[in-house]
Amino acid sequence: MGKNKCGISRRQFLKTTAAGVAFALVSRPLLSEAKEEHDLVVTSGEPAAATKKALEAIGGISRFVKKGNRVVLKPNMSFSNPPDQGSTTHPLVIATIAQACIEAGAREVLVLDHTLRRAELCLERTGIRDACKQIKGVHVLALQERKFFREIKVPQGKVLERVEVMKEVLESEVLINVPVAKSHSATGVSLGIKGLMGLIWDRESFHSQYNMSQALSDLATVIRPQLTILDATRALVSGGPGGPGNVIKPNLIIAGTDPVAVDSYGVTVAPWYGQKFNGRQVEHLLVAHQRGLGKIDADQLKILKERV
Amino acid sequence: MRKFLQALSLLLFSTLFFLATYKLPDWLPADIYLRLDPLLGLNAIFASREIIYRALWSLTLIGATVLVGRFFCGYICPMGVAIDFLDLLFFPKKGRRELKQDALLRKVKYVLLIVFLSAGITGLSLAFLMDPLALLTRFYTFILYPLTVTVINLFLDLVRPLFNLLGWVTFSHLHYVQPVYYMSAITLLIFGGIIALNRLAPRFWCRYLCPLGAFLSLFSPLGLFKRKVTDDCNECMKCRKTCSMKAVKENPREISVSECIQCRTCAEVCPREAISFPSSLSLGGEYSPRDLSRRGFLYSLTGGFAVGFLAIRTPFTSLQSKYQLIRPPGAIPEEEFLRTCIRCGECMKSCLTNTLQPCLWESGLSGLWTPKLDLRLAPCEQNCNVCGKVCPTQAIRSLPLEEKSHAKVGTAVLRKEMCLVWAQDKPCLICDEICPYNAIVFRPVDGFRRPVVIASKCNGCGFCEQRCPVKGESAIVVVPNGEIRLKEGSYIKEAKKLQLDFRPDPGDDKFLLEESGFRIEEKKEPVRTIPEEKPSPVKPKGFL
Repeated sequence: MGKNKCGISRRQFLKTTAAGVAFALVSRPLLSEAKEEHDLVVTSGEPAAATKKALEAIGGISRFVKKGNRVVLKPNMSFSNPPDQGSTTHPLVIATIAQACIEAGAREVLVLDHTLRRAELCLERTGIRDACKQIKGVHVLALQERKFFREIKVPQGKVLERVEVMKEVLESEVLINVPVAKSHSATGVSLGIKGLMGLIWDRESFHSQYNMSQALSDLATVIRPQLTILDATRALVSGGPGGPGNVIKPNLIIAGTDPVAVDSYGVTVAPWYGQKFNGRQVEHLLVAHQRGLGKIDADQLKILKERV
Repeated sequence: MRKFLQALSLLLFSTLFFLATYKLPDWLPADIYLRLDPLLGLNAIFASREIIYRALWSLTLIGATVLVGRFFCGYICPMGVAIDFLDLLFFPKKGRRELKQDALLRKVKYVLLIVFLSAGITGLSLAFLMDPLALLTRFYTFILYPLTVTVINLFLDLVRPLFNLLGWVTFSHLHYVQPVYYMSAITLLIFGGIIALNRLAPRFWCRYLCPLGAFLSLFSPLGLFKRKVTDDCNECMKCRKTCSMKAVKENPREISVSECIQCRTCAEVCPREAISFPSSLSLGGEYSPRDLSRRGFLYSLTGGFAVGFLAIRTPFTSLQSKYQLIRPPGAIPEEEFLRTCIRCGECMKSCLTNTLQPCLWESGLSGLWTPKLDLRLAPCEQNCNVCGKVCPTQAIRSLPLEEKSHAKVGTAVLRKEMCLVWAQDKPCLICDEICPYNAIVFRPVDGFRRPVVIASKCNGCGFCEQRCPVKGESAIVVVPNGEIRLKEGSYIKEAKKLQLDFRPDPGDDKFLLEESGFRIEEKKEPVRTIPEEKPSPVKPKGFL
């Protein structure tokens, strides 16, 4: 249409169109492969900038969030500590991701956790509620009542047959796990997979009733975040999960779709309790890997590294 | 006009009550009603033999009463408002005969006042039993507050589907944590009793029982506004019939000034408009003596001393420092605490975690309704200092957060025979995980990492006791041993002096690793093999 006005002949038009279509056909998979061929994206910098960069590097949040979607972000805001203590996800990391989701057309973004400490204090002192206050469509909630959870079956469960999960997680299109990197007195480290425990009702039984590593893997078979963004801008390398403990600053954001790969790389970015470890040395990650939930050897991962 | 002011006062009282919670701004005196109460103030000052600065606020009420008369009861007292309102609801005014024992009953409140004040002189705080503001605050705390939360939550549950439909995310996830309290039934019975007495006479409580009213009536005859009846009066007795305090005498031109609460209902109902309340400076002349005889006064005084003696000279007092009672952080030393605390329940209302609970007989009559920490129920939150902020007599000192976090309330003690790790070699670490002060560390003992409390780091917050998964009594309990109770001065300094450190040293975990010779590659033979647990006593949990 309008070819005469544009001043190009039909042949030219067809040629150009064909070329365009061909380019699109060839390049589209190439472009997205460029992003998907990497297991992980690791960016270095200040929390907000590094997060933004990581989202760009991974191909934009729109790879995961479509128009009209409801997105759940799962930070770690279980403890009523300020961000510098390293026991909770940095508020700017959460705010940056939430903003990107809204810009990608998300209907609403729910920032959810089942906190260990008193809910109102966690929301206030972690700074996450404040950081998200200005973004329209983002709600930061600590769900502490059983009525907000629903029991689901764990078909591949070895120790866990059923588990009560936040309804909102079950009813949303996208789940993005945004853990913080910290040590943990029961599981060695608490990263993405351990962080999934913040989405269930009964945590105590994981400690007292089950083999924790098996239970965590069982959980990871039913709660599958599309994306894990590990906030390693700070790492609580001892005294975790609640702190206080030694906090170091790796200044890293690690993002990927493979939850085991993200965690395994996360293990290597800081010395835990003064010692270097790798993913295979973390029991719950090894179990998750053995059950086919993801790659564990950080040195064999294809990593796209960027610096802000 | 009066009804409006009354409603406003009750609203203000209720608002301040509900605002008394975590993140109460420093400038807001949520306990102002209790501070204004001269009976509570005087009682605490007598009992503690100290000037309590917050209690000096009550001088304004005394001053106002001297100036205006006993207006507090008719316009401001929230208990009076509650009684008036519930009276309207339950007992339509007709059909209540005059009480034959009226004259006798009127003395009761003076007897009570003298008993309470003289008991106060002996060092026993007792006025809380019948002070209207303390009573009402307790009723609010133990009954009305939990009930309100229940009703709100029920309502929220009911409309939740609607919120969901509308997509109101925040509302559809709204839920308030339900507070619970011991002794709520007793509180309800007492309050219910006060209301039920209205069946006999309107404002029965105010007329015959209220010791605060009795106290204020001592000053009211000096007041500026006095009832005046002109010659138009035809003795129709309408004023006498409607007077809720029965202050109008048999000759309706006369009034018992001390009983008049200035409600001016008589002026409103008088068909001949013969009654007015002009301002008149009449110091002295009309100050009529109380109805109480000298003998009655002496008896009451003796009675008060006797109660004081009975309540204080008991083994409870000698054992005061030996009870398993954990007092709120910032509570002054036990003896002074019992003397100063007016048992209003405001601290228990404001407590963020609901750990503050009323005592029954744990420390005898003198400890009735005083606040204690029930750490199995809930811990004391390290970032909250609201209980001291709202304490009207400062039996719990109002401390800045930094000071409060050094006000050690006790020390956690591990009961090894019950601990899952010590007694059963189970891999439990919940107390360590939750401890906000890193006061619990693991030490290798008998081939197994076992929790140990570092007493100098523990400030008694009780997170460990509350979370301990052992059924029944916790395997780790906070005992009062090591508590810091200061009447004045800095808790930080005191803690330093005692070499306590609540800013935990994060290096302790590392110390554990180094001392125990942790190596990734080397395999150490376990001293003892434990089936489920991987046999390395020194490795941090979770690492292979």
